[in-house]
Amino acid sequence: MRFRAKIVDLACLNHFSRVINTIAKLAKTCTLRLTDSKLYFILSDKVANGGVSMWCELCQGNFFDEFQMEGVAAEHNEIYLELVPENLSRALKTAQSAKAVKIKLTNKHCPCLRVAVELPSLSSSSRIVTHDIPVGVIPRRLWNDFREPSVPDFDVSIYLPVLKTMKSVVERMKNLSNSVVIEANLSGEMNLKIETDLVSVTTHFKDLGNPPWASEDGCQSSAQGRDLESMAEARIDIKKLQQLLARQQVNPTKALCNIVSKRIVHFVLLHEDVSLQYFIPALA
Amino acid sequence: CILHCFLFLLVFGRAIHAIARISDEFWFDPVEKGLALRSVNSSRSAYAYVFFSSMFFQHYCWTAVSQPRQKEKQLSLPCKLIIKSVLLVFRCVNVLERNVEKCSIYANTNDHHITFQLLCKHGVVKTYNLTFQECDPLQAVFAKHMCPNILKVHSRLLADIMIHFPTGQEVTLSVTPMKVCFKSYTEEDTADFSKTMLTEVQLNPDEFDYFQVGVDSEVTFCLKELRGLLAFSEATSVPVSIHFDVSGKPIAFSIEDMVLEATFILATLCDIEKETASQQPPCLSQQQESAEAVASKKPQWNGNAPNTESAKPASPLAKQKITTTPRVATREMTGIEGTAMTAAEDYAMLEEEATDSHWQKVRRLPVVFTVEYLSWYLPECCLSSEVSYFCKYCIFQFRSLFFGAVSCTEKDAISHTFHSLATASDTEEDFGSVQSSQV
Repeated sequence: MRFRAKIVDLACLNHFSRVINTIAKLAKTCTLRLTDSKLYFILSDKVANGGVSMWCELCQGNFFDEFQMEGVAAEHNEIYLELVPENLSRALKTAQSAKAVKIKLTNKHCPCLRVAVELPSLSSSSRIVTHDIPVGVIPRRLWNDFREPSVPDFDVSIYLPVLKTMKSVVERMKNLSNSVVIEANLSGEMNLKIETDLVSVTTHFKDLGNPPWASEDGCQSSAQGRDLESMAEARIDIKKLQQLLARQQVNPTKALCNIVSKRIVHFVLLHEDVSLQYFIPALA
Repeated sequence: CILHCFLFLLVFGRAIHAIARISDEFWFDPVEKGLALRSVNSSRSAYAYVFFSSMFFQHYCWTAVSQPRQKEKQLSLPCKLIIKSVLLVFRCVNVLERNVEKCSIYANTNDHHITFQLLCKHGVVKTYNLTFQECDPLQAVFAKHMCPNILKVHSRLLADIMIHFPTGQEVTLSVTPMKVCFKSYTEEDTADFSKTMLTEVQLNPDEFDYFQVGVDSEVTFCLKELRGLLAFSEATSVPVSIHFDVSGKPIAFSIEDMVLEATFILATLCDIEKETASQQPPCLSQQQESAEAVASKKPQWNGNAPNTESAKPASPLAKQKITTTPRVATREMTGIEGTAMTAAEDYAMLEEEATDSHWQKVRRLPVVFTVEYLSWYLPECCLSSEVSYFCKYCIFQFRSLFFGAVSCTEKDAISHTFHSLATASDTEEDFGSVQSSQV
């Protein structure tokens, strides 16, 4: 099992760092899946996470100048690693002016991702900063736990409002309540509601638009034939929503959410070369 | 004494912040030549000393006030202040510089008062009256010029290196004549490899303004106390000198220019190695032989090259494997400082909590610092209890510097101490402190 990759371009490095920073905020520990064309950051829905799950997909070609990997076996040319993304984020944080960043899978005392940052220095030779991030290798028999989640059979799918606005609304609501009700309909309307003993606050968003989902096999999805005005709603943990919105430094190309009434909310954030899906289950 | 001075805020404020990282209280010690600030942390593993000469201040006036009880030459009466109170004065140092035109410090030791007065823009005057506590003077004596390894570097470079490590982490500085490396420190026997991320920064000796490595060494210290000094030296833009020796001996970070000097001395870990250590306490000669015999195999209990054995008579003892009984430790203590500490046998050990198992894993710093005890300023009632406290060796485990006190009922004792330390010096450094090792 081998992996080595190199980033030389500063813009790519910054972009990669931003993605890692986002992941670090969403998950304490997650799974990194490497294939020869893509990287995936996966958080599977365990009770420990509060039922939240995440699927983030990157095209390696958009970030790395060099990317070589050799999976566990020829017919399973993939590597699954468990790591703490915060470590990776910290390692990249000080690489803002790096000449090059190399990432390599090593196994000295234990399996590690070695991030070697080559920094410019006053002397003839560059300064090298090495970070050894301990990782856990996930055996093949457990790979099934990390399959791509399917898009749920949603009741309503709607584009999100400008994330910055949504973020500031949710942040203020967080001070008042632990959970928020997110509801939307097929007429492009979304409401965020909180309710406590003392106060209830609702923020209304209009004209958001609903993404067209072509159903795969032509059969009716539960969204079709649905009353345009009727709201699908789910009560979710407000902190999880705030974490998702907090780190969006760059506005995504597309941001939408799919609501399965009283069950789960599925957020999809698409950037040019990164796609992030985040599932927040509804509270009882 | 009465002290009256005006000063440059940014540098002074940064000094206070730097000292604040060491401890909650500090010694404020005005002398004729300038103002000395000193601090030591509770575990005695970090000591800070900042001295502003009278030229640093726009106006410095120090008057000695004679005491009726004094028997000896008037020396300054140091006082202890709580850092938090002073930090309040120098909060937001950067902002302060813009708004404050003048800062004056007025100290009157008779009524136990220090007044900081900030004359700000628009005629606003902020006055802070602080009371201080009389206390015993604190002074560490560290022979900087006896250190075989000296690095001098601009603070910017040090800050750039430290930024790669999380605050509060322990860092190992490893040097050979060919390279310098800072790396995160983990205790190898207990490290949970699945948790800790290890960072290593490799540097070329070229990057240093001055690079002298007499002895290959690896010293481990805590970063937390250092960051304050880095911020302070950036304010002064004076390069930082690093003096150190082998593991276990303290490391000193200092800056010095015409009007100020600052030294931060940190204890370093002394690796007491593993199973072999606790099983057989070897005697000195055996130790030297075994070290030389396995020189090529890199002895387990220290990472240093064996050539350090011959360098100084003190070093074999420094690396001697520590057994589980505190008594052995005492003997070693006296051995290290040679003649200077013969009086040490009389002093009892303060540390009592050690249990056998605890000792095996413990990190100790076999270096002795001398605290001068000048008794004549204290009111009579305090005298007896203070004497007994200070006349003991404080031997703290887990990365402590050792503070010992020499009773000053005989003047000879003091001069004897200094004298022997001074004569033990073998190398002179070109730059830096000209005078004694007194800090």
